[in-house]
Amino acid sequence: MRVYLEAARMSYRCYRTYGAATLAGLATNGFFGLLRSSVFIAFYEGRPIAEGYTLDDALTYVWLTQGMIMPLFLWGWLEIADTIRSGSIASDLAKPLDYFGFWLGRDLGRAAYHILYRWLPTILIGLIFFGIGLPGSALAWLAFALSFLLAIVLSFCLRFMINVVGFWTTDVRGIMGMVLLFVNFLTGFLVPLEFFPPALRAIVTELPFAAMISIPNKIFLEQAQGRDLLLLLGRQLFWVVVFVGAAWLLLRSATRKLVVQGG
Amino acid sequence: MRLYLLLAGARLRGQTQYRVSFALQVASSFTSTFVELLALLILFRTFSSLGGWSVGEVAFLYGLASVSFALAELFGEGLEQASRMIREGEFDRVLTRPVAPLLQVLAADIQPRRIGRLAQGILALALAGRWTTIDWTPLKAALFIGAIASTAVVFLTVFLIGAAICFWTIESSEFQNIFTYGGTELASNPLQIYSRWLQGIFLYIVPLGLTTFYPAAHILAKPDPFGLPPFTPFLAPLVAALFLGLGLLIWGLGLRQYQSTGS
Repeated sequence: MRVYLEAARMSYRCYRTYGAATLAGLATNGFFGLLRSSVFIAFYEGRPIAEGYTLDDALTYVWLTQGMIMPLFLWGWLEIADTIRSGSIASDLAKPLDYFGFWLGRDLGRAAYHILYRWLPTILIGLIFFGIGLPGSALAWLAFALSFLLAIVLSFCLRFMINVVGFWTTDVRGIMGMVLLFVNFLTGFLVPLEFFPPALRAIVTELPFAAMISIPNKIFLEQAQGRDLLLLLGRQLFWVVVFVGAAWLLLRSATRKLVVQGG
Repeated sequence: MRLYLLLAGARLRGQTQYRVSFALQVASSFTSTFVELLALLILFRTFSSLGGWSVGEVAFLYGLASVSFALAELFGEGLEQASRMIREGEFDRVLTRPVAPLLQVLAADIQPRRIGRLAQGILALALAGRWTTIDWTPLKAALFIGAIASTAVVFLTVFLIGAAICFWTIESSEFQNIFTYGGTELASNPLQIYSRWLQGIFLYIVPLGLTTFYPAAHILAKPDPFGLPPFTPFLAPLVAALFLGLGLLIWGLGLRQYQSTGS
């Protein structure tokens, strides 16, 4: 266990060395947050509530999701695919530790950095300039924290699996781009799923993608209490178990057919 | 010009060698922007107007911005690569050749996969054509073409300035994304929904508002929320030319004080 914690810590520190990039990234997230907020403010003009969202809810949703981009690493991640290309994956696989656990540890360390330096400041910007609402109780915060963690693990599993496809093809970039684009839409990142047409919404909420953004968002907005809240968390947990299992199986069949490149 | 076509043509042939990869990239470029359009349409299911503009009118503005940005990306990809060339010292090689550096940089990369965004922009315009009744006159048609060309030039100039700044900073910065990706996003919506200082920046500093919003408002016969002179929509080409001049000036200054990173 300690070695995975160490992997997390190293990856956290590695990201911390890029201060200027963090600032530029924050400015970009903030700018898009501003644009998305302006659109919602204009849409809501003269209208108190739409699809169960007040304007304040919509703004909270905007800044929360802007903040979640980096912790969830939605814009793609090809670190493992790169090691497959370069051949250095051979030495990673030879290490006496669980390959999946090693990368999960690293990714959680990265996510910790991004929560602290990207999510938190983004939420603060929303709070200061748009007066967004925050969860009102310790319990709500706890539920959100758990939900956020599950979402990160889920997003990691998805990215991990796409990378592992690199064992079969050297062109993962295109696949990654394609999948993540659908993800943008199906997670409820671009528009909350509640705004989707009912038929489409019924399907999309059943998909695992909803567990990445839509569910944490609902919990942050305190749209679910008691039993409903537990059901949402249970749904996320279910998908995490499924995804971890799938990632494991995929990795197993991939390492069987590993052809190391370079030398 | 002939030289550019020659160099770009060689690039293009190289790019299309990998058919599957190429098809995937075009598809992902199309979907990435298509889901944005879809998100907009979903919001218009709930809300009826955005700043007084109907769904068809916003789709028109959106398509105009998208098509222009796609054209700029198609031809400006080399500029996005320039920071890498400068950082890795590859730019020295450019300077030793008896061809203008800017021409070489422009021809260094051309990305046909960007036609995905172009296709999506055209789709948005087609939808707008169905949903609005535009009273086309030769003057409006000319204004439409002029607006697309002017906006593409403005975006290209942003790429150019971004690349030129690398002569000083060596590093490229994500800040540029605010004016490129952020710029298209902003230009896709009626300008009056934004805060005053944002409007100011995009009217008078990076003049996207003058090359997209004003021509679109004139073609769609929408009122001018800012009360600028009635000939304002027709200033687009002039404004774009001035902005390009500024960009070329900055590029020239950067080039003059460029110091190789060596290796």
